[in-house]
Amino acid sequence: MNTRHLVIAVAVALLMGALSLAFGRFGAYMVNAVAIAGIGALSLNLLIGYGGQISFAQGALLGVGAYTAGNISNAGGDGLLAILGAGVMGAIISALIGIPALRLRGLYFAIATLAAQAILEYLFKILDPITNGVSGLVIRPTTILGIPMTSDRSLVVPSLVILVIVWVAVSRLMRIDLGRSFLVLRESEIVAKGMGIDVAHAKILAFFASGFIAGLAGALAGFANRLASPEAFTLDLSADYIAMIIIGGLGTWTGPLIGAAFVVLLPEAIQRVGEAAGLSDILSPLRELAFGLLIILFLIFEPRGLTALLSRLKPRSLAVPAPGAVPATGESLPP
Amino acid sequence: MTLVLQLAVAGLAIGSVYALIAIGVVLIYKCSGVVNFAQGAYAMVGAYVSYALLRAGLHPVLAIIGCMVVLGGLGSLTERLVLRPMLKAPLVAVMMVTLGLLIVARAACLIIWGPDQIAFPKVFPEGAISAAGIFVTYNYIAAGILALVLSFGFLAMYQFTRIGLQQRCAADNTRAALAIGIHVSNQVSIAWAMSAALAGLAGTLLATLNGLSLDLAGIGMIAFPVIVVGGLSSLFGALVAGLLLGLLQSFTDGLLSPVLEDFLREHTSIYSVGALQQVVPYALLVLMLLVRPQGLFGRRGTERV
Amino acid sequence: MRLRHAAAILALTLAGALPARAQVSVCIWGTITGPDALVNGMSYGIRDYLESLNQTKGGIAGQKVNALLLDGRYKLDEELKIYRRCVDQENAVFISGWSTGSVKALSDQITQDGVPFITQSYASEVLDPKKFPYIFMAGPTYEQQMIIALRDLAAKGGKRVVIMHADNEYGRGPVNVIRQSGVVNQLGLQLVDTVEFRYDAQDLTAQMLRVKSRKPDMVYIQASTPQAIVILRDAAKAGLAGKLFIGNLYTISPTIPEQLGEAAEGFRAIQAYQFYGTDIPAMKQIEAFGAKAPIEKKDMYYMKGWMEGIAIAAAVEGAIKQNGGKVPADIKQFREAVRQQMEAQTKLDDGGITPPLDFSNHQGFVQARIAEVNGGKYVPVGDWIDAR
Repeated sequence: MNTRHLVIAVAVALLMGALSLAFGRFGAYMVNAVAIAGIGALSLNLLIGYGGQISFAQGALLGVGAYTAGNISNAGGDGLLAILGAGVMGAIISALIGIPALRLRGLYFAIATLAAQAILEYLFKILDPITNGVSGLVIRPTTILGIPMTSDRSLVVPSLVILVIVWVAVSRLMRIDLGRSFLVLRESEIVAKGMGIDVAHAKILAFFASGFIAGLAGALAGFANRLASPEAFTLDLSADYIAMIIIGGLGTWTGPLIGAAFVVLLPEAIQRVGEAAGLSDILSPLRELAFGLLIILFLIFEPRGLTALLSRLKPRSLAVPAPGAVPATGESLPP
Repeated sequence: MTLVLQLAVAGLAIGSVYALIAIGVVLIYKCSGVVNFAQGAYAMVGAYVSYALLRAGLHPVLAIIGCMVVLGGLGSLTERLVLRPMLKAPLVAVMMVTLGLLIVARAACLIIWGPDQIAFPKVFPEGAISAAGIFVTYNYIAAGILALVLSFGFLAMYQFTRIGLQQRCAADNTRAALAIGIHVSNQVSIAWAMSAALAGLAGTLLATLNGLSLDLAGIGMIAFPVIVVGGLSSLFGALVAGLLLGLLQSFTDGLLSPVLEDFLREHTSIYSVGALQQVVPYALLVLMLLVRPQGLFGRRGTERV
Repeated sequence: MRLRHAAAILALTLAGALPARAQVSVCIWGTITGPDALVNGMSYGIRDYLESLNQTKGGIAGQKVNALLLDGRYKLDEELKIYRRCVDQENAVFISGWSTGSVKALSDQITQDGVPFITQSYASEVLDPKKFPYIFMAGPTYEQQMIIALRDLAAKGGKRVVIMHADNEYGRGPVNVIRQSGVVNQLGLQLVDTVEFRYDAQDLTAQMLRVKSRKPDMVYIQASTPQAIVILRDAAKAGLAGKLFIGNLYTISPTIPEQLGEAAEGFRAIQAYQFYGTDIPAMKQIEAFGAKAPIEKKDMYYMKGWMEGIAIAAAVEGAIKQNGGKVPADIKQFREAVRQQMEAQTKLDDGGITPPLDFSNHQGFVQARIAEVNGGKYVPVGDWIDAR
């Protein structure tokens, strides 16, 4: 199964790479955006979908990654070092956010992450020496292993490579004891304790792993935008990521990427179709409306997301069951 | 001293609006376990509905009543159409669906009323009281007092009337409520309706103070610090915490920020502490969660596991 | 299979997005629905001027112009995406961009891509013909606007200044430049406080009480019309008079007196373009155009956009004429030629909206005057002065 995951991941990455070549610079930018969102969604899916810990601080965590990578790269560090550094910093901050989760559960913890998002946003704005405040940190084009990353197209390569690694790593993680203990945690902490799982340990590790991946995504976003700005890492972004994993399919293997592609590309698709239909004047609200309605409709009618919808359309497809995939509905998840 | 008093008045006025919003959130939570992100959306839609009714020539009192009726309908409709099918969905899905509602409401208002701010028609008489160095407009006094009176009135109704009793029963123990013949799912609809109506009123009052725009929806987010500080299950807590946070924000803006900035400018190279009042409620929220997770007026064990 | 599905969706989306190639394409992104939408007039102005050329003259030098107006929504990621679409897919020969943050984030790439760019943000950092040879501006920078107000206060014998600004680059950037330059003290004034607020702030009552406690002789607003409305409204709540306040170029909007009435009386703002409806030749063109199509925003910003449209069209026309009346086949060449033509304009007549434009220094012009709200209307007080 694992090899199959690897093959699929590589095939998807190759396909995305081909698309980025076929559709010019704008296409490359969009493919890059999908890849980055995919990495971020994989991170959040690990935490929410598998671990059952709701977080509204994903946007700010991406910001942590972008600022860290920007500072390392601007100081002359190699892009790879910057990306890894961003991962480590993301992991640390994420674990810090996760500490209250040892005491708080469900709703209370979700609200605590709202606070974490607000506080981090505020820090982005006032920690001038690190973040350059409201102006945002201008990130000069980086070099990865000596190769300059000056164009949108060149940036697609590291994004896709990291996407494949993360994607396969997450699937691997969910096959070992640690990953399985996340699933038990999601179902019931009491059961987890009864099974001899060190709950605190497992929870913090879930935050750590998820934060590391979020940091990577943030670093890549920083390089793509060439700017890390407080306005880019708001609660709206956190909500976008939750929407991605829900629309894609909570706690599934392919869901995060499908959801990411959908959420990133949908507004652009509506934009272009709307322009062609001569609706330019009200396109922005229409895009918002469609996004909001889709979230609501999916949650009501297909809570298992696009993944389930697509596999139902093609019942005989090569359905790849997610490791430990549990329907996102039912009382099985924490209240 | 006059500055302190003025800030207190401003803080209480805005705090009483926070209280109205937060009471609505707690009401829904108590009854159905849903934490509603869309409360700000109800406030915004309420303000636009009042605006439309006022523009149609209705008397302000009728317009406000009309707005509360419309919003009440919207609230129970939301519950029936959106929340009821999701009765067994996981918490994240329920939170997200209310966020979806917020997005849809904003987009709808944007399409109907456009992106620009709109001057809200005069509801209260113009003029101001100026005494002992304190300067308060009638509008401020009226909005603050109205919000406060309605908050207390609502709490009294919840405590002392038959519908309040049924509400409390349904919220406290669903099975027991069913056993004594209370139609629980109706009670949930009623809770949503009352909650949305209160938010609509709050939005209207806010619009009389601050004008009408889509950003009104942002007030919904303040509900989260308020309900955590007050205690998730306590309506009275929401009222007290709303006033408290209003005061806190006002003093942060008017006293703490300038004192801090004066000090920092004198002694360090830091020049600004930014929009500090945005983060103060959340800092308080974190503190509260660490020290007393049940909030000021919550009961222990109300944390739903 | 579902992956293939996702890929199919991706491909369809991108294929649907294939560029429609026009010979001359100008790309404008403004903020049709963002928090700044009230001052979006210039986006419409540029588009409408180019459209009017299509209607009356068959375009620029006989070539139809494709003027594409997009909504950046004051969201950075949206704006960065739009920029790439304009450069890569629309093959825009000139781009007009909006937020201060986006212009700064893109400044290097604009040079790299070699695409002429007019910024609607007046941030002085991007006005540097050597470092950013493709970025143009049309009017005094935010700093120059502030200095005009400060000079006016000094001339009137005032002393204590408070600056209020938004908590974004647009707000904080120019204020820091002014604060660190020491110009306030040089004029014999005293900066007693700067107050920062959220860009989407709805209630600034407590901040106004803070301002009141500083006993200012003047409060400068480095923000736009929506924020100025909040400030003036809450100033009235705190008992501060409108005449204490003076705002930058983006606080001249009929909406302010319309919404605030009495509270706006005496409020002043920096004016750099003629008001909508002034008796100038450009207004006749606008009215002729308006007879056929609705004009979205009838204000000074629309005039600014119209003027920028004139400058862009003149540069494009020059480039086409230089190439023997044909559009250069290579877009890179075309863009470079347009940039040179833009710089070569030193006495461009814009129908009286501003004094003759001179883009050799990339700034167009730098004169401005102060206008005051009087009886619900902005009335100029004082003469046009050079803001340098």
